[in-house]
Amino acid sequence: MFQAPKPKKIGLNEWSEQFKLIPDQLIKKYCYYHNSEWGIYLSPPATFMVYGARELKRLKFDNSLACLRLWGFVFNESERLFRAKQIGKKLIATMGDLGTVPVIVMAFPDCVPFYPECIWWTPFFKESTVLLDTAAELGAPEATCFSKAALAAFYKRAYFPKPDLIFASTGASCDDYSCVMQLVADLGYEPVWLEIPLRKDSTNPEDLCRQKDLPKRFKNREITDSKFEIQNSKLEDYLINEYQLVWKTLVNITGSEDKNLLLKSIKKANHLRQLVARIKELTYTAAIAPLPALELMTIEFGNLYGYADFDEWIAILEMVYEMVKKRVEKGVGVLLESAIPIAWITPSADPLLLNFVEDLGLRIVATEYVINQALVPIEEDVEPFRALARSFLKASLIGSTQERVKRINTDIKSGKIKGVLITNMLGASHCAMETRIIEKLLSDVPVLTIDVPTPFGITEQLKTRLIAFAETLRSQK
Amino acid sequence: MVKNLIGYTCSYIPVELLAATGFRPYRLLHGEIRFVNEGEKLVRVDACPLVKANLGYLLANKDKFVCIVGTSGCDMTRRMFDVLTSLTDIPTYLLNNPRTDKPQIFYDEIDWLVRELEILSQRKFTDELLDNEIERWETARNYCRRLNQKRAANPSLISTADFAQVCISYHRGKIGFGFNIAEKISLQPRVYLLGSPIPYEAQSVIELIEQNLRIVGDFNCGISRFLNIKIKEKDLTGIKEAYYYQTPCIYKRPNNQFYQQIESEIKELGCKGIIAWTLDYCDNYEFELKRSERIFGLPILRLRSDLSLQNTSQLKTRIDAFAEMIQ
Repeated sequence: MFQAPKPKKIGLNEWSEQFKLIPDQLIKKYCYYHNSEWGIYLSPPATFMVYGARELKRLKFDNSLACLRLWGFVFNESERLFRAKQIGKKLIATMGDLGTVPVIVMAFPDCVPFYPECIWWTPFFKESTVLLDTAAELGAPEATCFSKAALAAFYKRAYFPKPDLIFASTGASCDDYSCVMQLVADLGYEPVWLEIPLRKDSTNPEDLCRQKDLPKRFKNREITDSKFEIQNSKLEDYLINEYQLVWKTLVNITGSEDKNLLLKSIKKANHLRQLVARIKELTYTAAIAPLPALELMTIEFGNLYGYADFDEWIAILEMVYEMVKKRVEKGVGVLLESAIPIAWITPSADPLLLNFVEDLGLRIVATEYVINQALVPIEEDVEPFRALARSFLKASLIGSTQERVKRINTDIKSGKIKGVLITNMLGASHCAMETRIIEKLLSDVPVLTIDVPTPFGITEQLKTRLIAFAETLRSQK
Repeated sequence: MVKNLIGYTCSYIPVELLAATGFRPYRLLHGEIRFVNEGEKLVRVDACPLVKANLGYLLANKDKFVCIVGTSGCDMTRRMFDVLTSLTDIPTYLLNNPRTDKPQIFYDEIDWLVRELEILSQRKFTDELLDNEIERWETARNYCRRLNQKRAANPSLISTADFAQVCISYHRGKIGFGFNIAEKISLQPRVYLLGSPIPYEAQSVIELIEQNLRIVGDFNCGISRFLNIKIKEKDLTGIKEAYYYQTPCIYKRPNNQFYQQIESEIKELGCKGIIAWTLDYCDNYEFELKRSERIFGLPILRLRSDLSLQNTSQLKTRIDAFAEMIQ
């Protein structure tokens, strides 16, 4: 049996050496879509480097078997999607909502949800600008979110098969991806458009609607939460209408209609969300970080759609959870105990930055990766569509910036976080507008804002800024 | 200073309702470079220059505004309200403007806005009050429509540079009918202007374009988009429907209707080319430029601006070359 090595982060060569110790029967044990004939995915990360993920040779990974399984599964996604199509499953592209529509899709047998926008990591893993250049040729401006890679992927039809159905969510979210989806539609795809309504945050109406300095006759206004509550209660109904549309469309293409399966799907999603919450909690609060930030980001994003095989992803995370728990019990981990806790706001498309920040002696203990809607529990004791609507209304980008970073601010005030790193994309609509407010709101600790450059774009200048940030935090310790 | 303005940011916000408060609707369309620079202190450099300038303008003139009304339309404009609420005491109202075809959401939001404005102004928006406001603004639009017919005539009788002054007056909430616009018959190539908003301070670009071309139609916030709004029933329902069913913004999804309606207008006007004016980082238009070329099948001159107008000479050369090309 494979012996768990002392926890640390290792590179490709070390993983390849370590992989030799894994017995064949263990390799055959893990498979996607429950198929042991062609669904085996456990392989050393170097395999994926050979197939084009060139950045892997510069990255370091957790050396546990659980994380090897995680990476094998995640990097195998493209193969898995093509395989799904081959065996007659229906591929449902769920774009833009980041968290809720896949829960409905999973209620239909043999329907596989996936997020085309998650391909935004691919140019970085591949150290290639091909997708970004192709997106530019198709009309995407240079300074926009890296999610434009999805447009090129739809065009090339080589990264995932043609979906059987596309749900495209747009509205009070980012402009960049809404524009990407419109260009995808122009390629001849016919998405079902869904509306994302604006949440009017009512946490502090005094801040949102003040009447100081108004002429006398306007001063009698009573400001209460009701100003927003009435409107926000309608948002649930709007979303329910959208989810009913999703449901009907899926019923039409599958011929299946079983609301009990939706309840099961919600339970499954909740199981995953709880599991991830427990892994994060253990990792964030342990004296020594038991899991690296890169793996943790990958785990967090798995909540979106389980990387196109929810059951297997849950099984992987159960294994990760057990591994993390053991490490915490033993008081061991992958970073130094002296690592300084920071928060990370807006995910980095370049995974290398997460490695780099940890190498500088920092440790991520809180994140706001714009997918809050995929992290919160879904109520199980209310009508399923309403429950889904309520969970979606906690989304990161549909409300105010103040609301988005409230949790991080609480952690700062409690002393848990010593610094904040914000990663932006040049030209991305929410980054351009939110960053300065976030910096201001979180100014009780040092905040560093950087733009994630295109592949191969991490310059010495950028590294120097990160080094200086780490030094500042150390000097304040 | 007396607060007497209600600022607004979007073509989907009914001026009739804003005016029913007794205050003057004032479209936030500022583009002066000093305001851009002030705004840039509050947001990143890659934010929309119009949003930056509006922020700069509002901070310098906050004492003039009773409130600001916006929509969830453009993402950056929507998020401007987050900045505003963190820096000023100006009350803000943000409406859901659905991108997909969901009229009920829009109608509910208008009902909400009416309630809020009634509370703010302590005025009941009676049928009579709304009827009066609709009549007032529809008369102003009709006046502009008549001028627009002269602009669209073949040959075109008035320039867009002159016509835009009337539009600016409308956007600033100053309804007037006594504009003395001299006819300037033009046999220059007829072009259509579309794209990002044209700020008040960027009118010189229109003059530059019209040195060798004649703009005979446009689809820009800041010029004549409001002419697409025609209120049939003089009540709140009429307002809702007229504003919802105006020529849709390019950010609506899908946006085929935008293309169909603009294409038909361009054909009707007999345009030989299109000027696409985009502001830096305006995703909604920049993403669509290639597609526009293909769909409209006409030469398109792309003018991208950060509102600094530093490149006027270069712009002039490009516009001249475009004019020669489509002669």
